[in-house]
Amino acid sequence: MALNPSRSTLKLAMMLLVVSAGRQSSAASVDDAGAVLRSSVEEILSIAYSGRGNETLAVRVRPALEKCFAFDIVTRQAMGPGWRQFSATEQKRATDLFSELMIRTYSARVVGTQRPKIVFGSPVATASDRCEIPTRVTTSTSNEPVAVVYRMIKLPAGWRIYDVLIEGVSFVANYRAQFDELIQKGGALAAIRTLEAKLAEPVPSHS
Amino acid sequence: MLCLSGCAISGKHSTAKSVSVHLSEGDADLANVPEQKTNDPWQSLNRTTFGFNDRLNTYALRPVAHGYAAIVPNRVRTGVSNFFDNLNYPVRFINSVLQGKITRSAQETGKFVVNSTAGVGGLIRVSDHISSLADVPAEDFGQTLGVWGIAPGPYLVLPVLGPSDCRDLAGFAGDFAMSPLNWHTIGLIHYGFITRPLTIALSTTRSVNGLPKAVESYDQMKAEAVDPYVAMRNGYLSYRAEQVKK
Repeated sequence: MALNPSRSTLKLAMMLLVVSAGRQSSAASVDDAGAVLRSSVEEILSIAYSGRGNETLAVRVRPALEKCFAFDIVTRQAMGPGWRQFSATEQKRATDLFSELMIRTYSARVVGTQRPKIVFGSPVATASDRCEIPTRVTTSTSNEPVAVVYRMIKLPAGWRIYDVLIEGVSFVANYRAQFDELIQKGGALAAIRTLEAKLAEPVPSHS
Repeated sequence: MLCLSGCAISGKHSTAKSVSVHLSEGDADLANVPEQKTNDPWQSLNRTTFGFNDRLNTYALRPVAHGYAAIVPNRVRTGVSNFFDNLNYPVRFINSVLQGKITRSAQETGKFVVNSTAGVGGLIRVSDHISSLADVPAEDFGQTLGVWGIAPGPYLVLPVLGPSDCRDLAGFAGDFAMSPLNWHTIGLIHYGFITRPLTIALSTTRSVNGLPKAVESYDQMKAEAVDPYVAMRNGYLSYRAEQVKK
């Protein structure tokens, strides 16, 4: 029996150490994403259920949403391949308008009579800089918990949300399907005008 | 620098010619969202039906839903919804069995027993407080056909009923036959106290009771969408694809 490990055994051990260290680092990294999501959702819900001021919910939750959503990436993905036709000015305008629509949409969905219960699952790495975090949301009006998956990306500023899937329906993919046809027919201008018209509509109130 | 075919990124709408493009960080994002393939050959007819359903929602269903919600408290609506959900146990049980999901069929049976007894005839979902019975995905015949490998077929918008596809339309017929509410109508049961007016009254109660939630979901979708038809179509197809996977 050899007391000294052979060169190949050493190589194997080193490789295992490197792989193991890489995995630990990746796990720690996606755990950070989980912590960011938890604190962001907690902050948004605290604002939403901390009593109503004179400002609308969309205005009150905006700073918290701006901290945790990568609005520029979401807009780029939602506009799809047609994004390349946009000038820099049009890209800026579309991002501002679509961010506004997202804030309005998200705040309309978190509003309710009772604070929803949210169970966070473990983050799952989908790429070196991306992960998915499954959650189960139970509201006062829903019989069944709703499956909500947050897709997050690691940017220099930290982990940010770039897509939300509600019961398998991707926010980004759904908007992309809508904008795809619109941009093909009318270009960037059609997308911008449609967003402007959408935001000019009154926000529906829920009974 | 990474060269890709333009077709790979712009999907079905791109021309066949291959174009080399510089893939910036932003372009990588564009390639990251999978292109959804939609089978909607009857879009023109579907959009017409969608328009009809939209007006039906605005002028008939929404006022009824708001009136019903104003009269019937949320807690009562939830109880009624739970009752009909419990009554539909055979639909979920048979479809779980047909899909070979034996554990799930046993969970459905457990839910039915617990909710029918401790839950006062199904009015209270006691099963939600039992971890092994909470959160059991509901199976229907459309999903069963999907599990059997049958493709969804073309997308359909049905008058009054809303979004569907050919597979789910067949599934709807299957579930109709499996639901105890319809067993008298199709001649499966013949009891003196179960009359046609009673089954119609029960079915109407179930439909009206579900209206407030359905109308609210529709209105929310419409308020968020830049093209409500496409939003509903893609949302429905993605949702059903996910349900088949569960």
